[in-house]
Parts: sequence; C-alpha cells; structure tokens
Amino acid sequence: MLKIDSKFIQKVQQSEELEELYPLLQNAIELEHSTIPPYLTAMFSIKPGKNLEDRKIIHSIVIEEMMHMTIAANILNALGGQPYISNSDFVPEYPGPLPMGIGNGLIVGLEKYSKACVKNVFMEIEEPENPLVFKSFSLAATQDFSTIGQFYLALQQKIEEIAPIELPGDKSKQVTSAFFDPALLFPIYTRHDAVNAINIIVEQGEGTSISPLDQDGEIAHYYRFEELFKGKKLIKDDTAPNGFSFSGPDIPFNPDDVYPLFPNTKIAMLPTGSEEWNRMKQFNTSYFSLLQGLHKTFNGDPAGLDNTIGIMYDLKLTAEKLCATPFPGKEGYTIGPSFEYITVPSEIAV
Amino acid sequence: MSYLHAPRLVFTGDFLSDVSTVNNDTAHYNNATFKPNFQEPGKGATNGWWNPEGGAVFDFQNCAVRQIFLPDGTTQADSSQDIIIGQLVVGAEGRPTGKMVDLDPDAQMVSALWCVQLRICTAQNELLFKGDIKTTCFRDLQLRQLDGGKSNGQPLGATWNSTLTNITWGELADSSPFLKQLRATTQGDKLSINLNPFGYYYAHNDGRFSLGRIIGSIGPYFEGEPTTFAPYRRLYGINYNSGIRSTYLNNTNFLVEADNKRLSIDFGASFPVANSIGTINFNQTLILAVSKIPLNYAATKDAPVFYISPNDVTEIGPLNYQSDPDWLNQTGGIVSFNNLSDETINALADNQLLVLTPSAAQTGQYAIIARESVDGLFVRADDFVQRLDDGDSVEIDFYAFQWGKPLANNVITLTLEAPTPDTPIGPQNPISELYGNNYPIDGITFQSQITTCEKGTAKMLLTGNAIHSPRHYIDGQVYTIDYQLNTVDPAFGTESVVLHLRDYFEVIEKPVWSDISDMMIQYSNLYPIMSKYVVNLSDPEDLIQKKNILIFAFSRPMEDTMHMPVTRDLSAPKRQTILNWLKDPVLTRTSSLKGIAEKPKSENPVAVGTALSEKQMKYKEAVKAKNGSFPGFPKTDNLFENL
Repeated sequence: MLKIDSKFIQKVQQSEELEELYPLLQNAIELEHSTIPPYLTAMFSIKPGKNLEDRKIIHSIVIEEMMHMTIAANILNALGGQPYISNSDFVPEYPGPLPMGIGNGLIVGLEKYSKACVKNVFMEIEEPENPLVFKSFSLAATQDFSTIGQFYLALQQKIEEIAPIELPGDKSKQVTSAFFDPALLFPIYTRHDAVNAINIIVEQGEGTSISPLDQDGEIAHYYRFEELFKGKKLIKDDTAPNGFSFSGPDIPFNPDDVYPLFPNTKIAMLPTGSEEWNRMKQFNTSYFSLLQGLHKTFNGDPAGLDNTIGIMYDLKLTAEKLCATPFPGKEGYTIGPSFEYITVPSEIAV
Repeated sequence: MSYLHAPRLVFTGDFLSDVSTVNNDTAHYNNATFKPNFQEPGKGATNGWWNPEGGAVFDFQNCAVRQIFLPDGTTQADSSQDIIIGQLVVGAEGRPTGKMVDLDPDAQMVSALWCVQLRICTAQNELLFKGDIKTTCFRDLQLRQLDGGKSNGQPLGATWNSTLTNITWGELADSSPFLKQLRATTQGDKLSINLNPFGYYYAHNDGRFSLGRIIGSIGPYFEGEPTTFAPYRRLYGINYNSGIRSTYLNNTNFLVEADNKRLSIDFGASFPVANSIGTINFNQTLILAVSKIPLNYAATKDAPVFYISPNDVTEIGPLNYQSDPDWLNQTGGIVSFNNLSDETINALADNQLLVLTPSAAQTGQYAIIARESVDGLFVRADDFVQRLDDGDSVEIDFYAFQWGKPLANNVITLTLEAPTPDTPIGPQNPISELYGNNYPIDGITFQSQITTCEKGTAKMLLTGNAIHSPRHYIDGQVYTIDYQLNTVDPAFGTESVVLHLRDYFEVIEKPVWSDISDMMIQYSNLYPIMSKYVVNLSDPEDLIQKKNILIFAFSRPMEDTMHMPVTRDLSAPKRQTILNWLKDPVLTRTSSLKGIAEKPKSENPVAVGTALSEKQMKYKEAVKAKNGSFPGFPKTDNLFENL
C-alpha cells in the first residue's frame, strides 16, 4: 500500500482557511502526476502490437491518472489557489517514494512491464484501505498510515466544512476536455462539484468499500492491475463472496514481448553526445515542454490542453523508439525513458 | 530591411529533422505493389531509405546566439556587452515541435518548415523573445562539404528565409540594448529570419543521426517586403570544380548600404566547409572587389575558370576567415565591411561584386570564384510553393530588383515546364510504373506575363482546375512553372513556382470504409510510425477505437502543428470525407464514391522516353543526391588553389 504520511491528513484536518489547503492540493497534483511516468514506462516497454490487452488496461489507467491530475488542479483553482507544474520539485526522483509517502515506504521506479512490477508497485500505489478480497488475498492492516483515498476523503470533508457553496476561484481557469466524459471531468464551480470530483478520483483509483466498480461501473485501478497480475478479467460472479471473481477471459501475456529496459535509466548513463543520448535529450525536452504546457493550461489557458495532447504523442513516439534501442554498454538491456526535469539544454557545444 | 540589416543577431547550433523517408519514393505510393520491406531502413528503391520511422519533427538543438551587429557598424560577441549574446535558441514550449515535410515525392527540393516556433531564452528558461516562423520552403541548395559528406551522407546545404510572426517580448528583453533597438526598428510585430541548414546526418555516425548544423540570423522586417526570401543582391559561383562537376560558393546574399558606406555579405549559406560541423580547413586568399566591366560568365567543364585583371576591379579587401577554423560557427559567415571609400560605394551602385583569388596559373591576374548576377538582376516569387485544390486561386507576389533596388516596368515571363514522360517498370524502376508531371496542361491557369509596378513587384494569379488522377495511385499532380526576366543569368538559370494540385474530389457525406480505405492504407504504408505506435491507419476497427483523437487531428487547420496528415498533402474534400467517416464509421454499404472513380484518368501527352529538359535532369540528379542514393560525392582537395 502507498502509505501517505499521516501528517498530511492532519494538516488537512487542522486547516481553517482554504489557503491552508492549497499546498495540500498541490501535493495531490504532484502525487497524481508521479504515478504517470512509472505507468507510462511500463506501457512503452511493451513491444508495439504485442500484449495488447495489458497495454490497453495500463493505458486506460494512465489516462484516468491524467484526468485525476486535472481534477486536482481544477479543485485547487476553484479554491482560489494556483497549481505549479513547471519546476524541478514537481518531478519525483525515480526510484524513490511518491509525494507525501512515508519514509521506508513504497519505492517506485521506472521499469519495464512485468507481473512483479504490477504486483509490487502498481497495485501497491492504488491499494485501498481495505481491498475487497475476491479470491485469496491477505491484508496486513495498519492504522499508522493513510491511503491516498483517505487523504482525498479528508480533503473532501474539509472542503465541505469550510468552503463556501460557490467556490471563490476564477471560473475561466477550469480545464475540461472533449477527450473526457463531461460527467467525469467537469468544471468545479461549487462545493458540491468539488465533493463529486473527489469521489471520482477515489473511486476510479480504489473502487468503493463495497464494490470494485466506481459509480460508472468501471473497474477501479487497483482491481484492473490485479487483473493484469492474475492474467484474468474480473467479472460479475453471483457465486463469489463479493459478487465478483477473476474468472473472466484470460489476459494473455508474453514476457518476451516486453523490451528489457534498464531500470531507472538516466541520461547520464548514456555516452554523452551519442545518438542514444541525443534521443533521450529529445525525450526530456518534450517532457519539459509538456510540463510547461500543462502549467499554462492550469493557469488560465485551459484551451492549451489540446497542445499538450500533441506533445504527449511526441513524447510517446520518442519513448517507444528509446525502448527498442539497445543500451550502449549494457548487454541485454534497452533504454527506458528517464522522465528527468531539464530546463533548456545547457550543453551548447560548438 | 531584412536579416542582413542592423541590428541583427547570429545564432548557430544544430537542428533535428526527423523526416520520414518511405515517402521519398514515388513508387511507394502504389498500394497495389507495396511491400513490407519498403518500411525497412536501407538504400535503393525497394526499401524505406534512411529514416522510415521518421515523424517529421523539426527542432532547434544546441543553438546559441553568437554575436550581434549594431547600426553603428560594430560587432559584439561577448556576453558582457549585451545580455542577448550567448543565450539559447530553442523551439516551441507547451506545444508540439514544428514539422519538416516535402511537398510531394515528385517535388522534393522545396522541403518546408511548418509551425516552427523559435524562442530565445536564458539557461533558466527566461524568455527574451519568441516568434512563429511563417511556413517557408528551402531554396538554393548547394554543395557545402569538401569531404563529400562522408560521415553524414548529405553534403548539400540549403536556405530557409522567412519572417517571425506573433512576436512576444519577454521581460528580459528590456535588459538588452540590442533587442530594444531591434524592436524599435522592425515593423508590424514581425522580424526577418534566415536559416542555413547543412551537414545533415543520414548516417548513424558521430551520435548525430537526423541532426544537422544550422546558421541563423535575425534582423528587422519592413512591411511590404518579401517573406520567404531576402531582398538582397546575389553572388553566384563561377569556378567549376571538376571533382564535384559543379561550383562552390553559390548563392551568396549581400547588401550595400550607401548611406552607411557599408557592404554586408552573407557566406552562411555558401561557404565551403571541411566537414559536417562547419569547420573551415582551407586558407586560400579570398578578396572582395567590384568589377569595372560587366561579366556574364558561367562555369562549365570546358570553361572552368575565368580571370580578371586587377586593373578591371576596385578592391574592397580580403575576407578574413582563416584565423579560426570555427569562423563560420562563430560569425555565421556574415561579414560587414564598414567605412568603404566613396569610390567603392559608387562602383557598387551599378557594378558587379566579385569574389577573387590571386591566380597561380596567370601571374598578376585574379581568378573569379563568384560574381554578382548579370546586370545585378534578381527576380523571385514569394510563397513559391503552393498546395491547391480544384477551384482554389492564389495570388503570388513577385519581386524584381536591379543592383538591390526595385526594378519597375519589367516583364516577368512564366512558362509551364514540359510534361515529363511516364516511366514503365524496368531494371531502374522495379516497383511500379511512375507517372510524369506537368499535365494535364489545363489543370492550372496562370498569367504567362506580368509586369512589375513602380515598387518592382507584380502579382500573378494562379488557379487550380479539376484534374482526374493523372498519376493514378498518387493524389494530384505536380506542376513547375519557370519564371524569368528578359535576361537569364547562365550561372543560375531560371527560378520556379512549384505547385501540388490535388485531384478533383467531391465530399462524400456518408462514406463507407471502402470510400477512404485506399487513402488510409496509403498513409499506413508511407508512415509506419503511425501504424506501429499510434493507430493502424489501414485497420478500420483500430480507427474506430481511436476515432476521437483522429477527429481531433484531422480537424486541425494546416497551420497547426498537430494537423493530420503531417505531410499536408490531402485535399480538403478528401479530408472532410475521412472526417465524415470517423464521425459515423460505417464499414460496408453500397459505396457512394463520387469523383475520382467516375472520371477517366488524365493521359500523359508525352511518350515514354521523351527527353527531359536540362533543368528537369538536374532536378532528378538533385533528388538522388538528396536521398543519399548517389554513390557519394568526391572529396575536394586544394579548393581554389592553383587556379
């Protein structure tokens, strides 16, 4: 389980003014973003046209994490705060703890797709406080830490408690997109909107306490990853204890159809000035550009979201080519996208 | 005013051009004969050339401002003198990079930059200014590398000239006296920009695959001036090199400012370099001078060198390029000669500028390396590359100059090049029959004569008419219209307007898959990067699954970097038909296809084997060179020596 340091929940609970929630919502944005590079790296490591169902499931989760990030930014804007996307602190160091995670907690890296990665990292990130057990599953319960879901629910409670019905933020900063269901990504003008939006984040990630499905009937991230781990689709099953079981169609997976990425590749591991180094630089330039674009999008230019979608394709194409490229000097490995925050390149060689 | 006028800045560095190459081969457009190996890297007509998985990305890399030139004639190259010096030149931020694409496989010498943004900022990403480069196609391809491009594979260089539009000045701009002056001088929220790419890597060598060198200069822009070429005087190379069977030091722009007693000359597009990164390794004395006698020589194999007596020239001075092998990268190859004598300035008013070297063969004489255009004449079409659908009309602006001044009341003659013959399948053309260009002749309507007005400009109306698949499996037709003043400089020849006219097609309101499948399969064949990583364009089920993003991309205007298709070669009605299908994707129904299938295809009026004109032959050779299918350019030793 991704264990959120309880101090963040306490901070939420102790807040008396909306301003005090701004840094906590900023943390939420950072946390939502921080899951995207690990999920994308795993997805890009799958060879083109192979392990299609696995790719599809990860893709569906990544897209929702992007939406969660947008929702968190919308809430922050709605409360009158200002999201900060384009600074070096925004990007986590991989491998490392995710934002708000406790020390000695879950360490998340950028690795190739594997069942182990799904089980040990991705399911941990998305694990609810009390996962529903559909087959054998042991839960090591703990009271010392909080889950992402609990953090959001605390935020939700606090907003209900201290926010006015009409939220004070500039309405023109709300970001929506034709690529998302308006029932899921909607402008947050009122306290009620904020409460609903938080429910969407929590339920898409964790499901509800009684069902692996969110309110729209979609399987929550945790259980979608569990599908990948078990290699079986989760389906309704009236005979099973919780009404669902992993007795659906197989999700075929061939580990040979995954590129052997060197874990947590950094640009500094590549020979300076090499073709591989240049391509990684290109990747990180796109990533930087994307973060800059998102910053502008969330700070008064919501139409800019369309442009960032274009950069995501640039990023993806470069990443997939990297994943297929042998790692110089590391036999048997290929290059993973490094998702490093760079400002404009400082190596001007003439 | 343009990029050679003060105040101007020079930047140099690298560019990234991830162009796709399956579409460099016209035969690859034929779906019926397409084979998977055409998507594999490798030379020759039966595969995908050097970058089949290219995505058309263009971007600046490792570029920095090297020096600035001020109206008082001083050059500054030290960052303590102005904050702009040493700052980074980078591409777009917060939106995708620009794109670089050809017009058509039958028109590969006019590669265009689309949607490229240029930003100058500090290493901390603080903006000095940014602007969007107006779409521009390169011109004036010329041989640059004395090593024949051994390491990189492409020894040619070219020039993009354009304007920067939508200029945004950063807060820091006020800290730069240079930028304040530039801002005060330029007109209409625009700047002039000139870019000289060279040293491009087809080869996976030196870590520089798909990178090249670029020299840029930015100066003021004045309203009413051309936007895709510089309104300057020009030098052409006239020293024939038997090794390369051509000339070096071609197409050099220069500016004479009588009031400032100044000559500014730009060797950035033309100066011969030792290697792909622009090192200078020859040291022959080069002298600038003004001819006292009119010269109209053009170099040929039989007349490779021309001489002139010192008595017949007014010397300006030597070109000091030898002190630093990195001269070109530091200066951009732009040199200003200040405080010229009245005699020189007067001579330059209506006499040709020359680049000379002392002759070894003819003691006391100079060998002429380059000379100004005959009679100082220069004519160019702005926006000389066009994409037209049936019924589209466009007015193209022409500019004529003599000795750098507008040339009024002169006739510009325009001639459609002769149709080129079809090429049947054979040993040299193994994949598919190739169809000729420039027909049907009534596919376009244009004015064959225009006359320049007082400002030296003229407009030419060009209209695209309905044509019906003259090239069968590839949409539309390429037309080349040559234009000239009465005098044609034999060292340069004529210039052209190049046009891709798309096939007549009527929008299908409720298309079925078979109505668009040929187009989509062709894109799938030509752009493997899409089908491999994004969406299988040949698979309707996959298209349906990803239709939202496809509707997004196919709906973007052509001036949007995310526009699909990236090649911008699809007519509006075809694009609309694809959109109609994506919005209501029906797989089968009785086909309602209108347009292309109902009309007989236009016939090529010339027989197979009809000889090409000299210019058409040159184009064919140049395309081979561009695509790296030449066995290799020879190395050039002892450049300009022993003449």
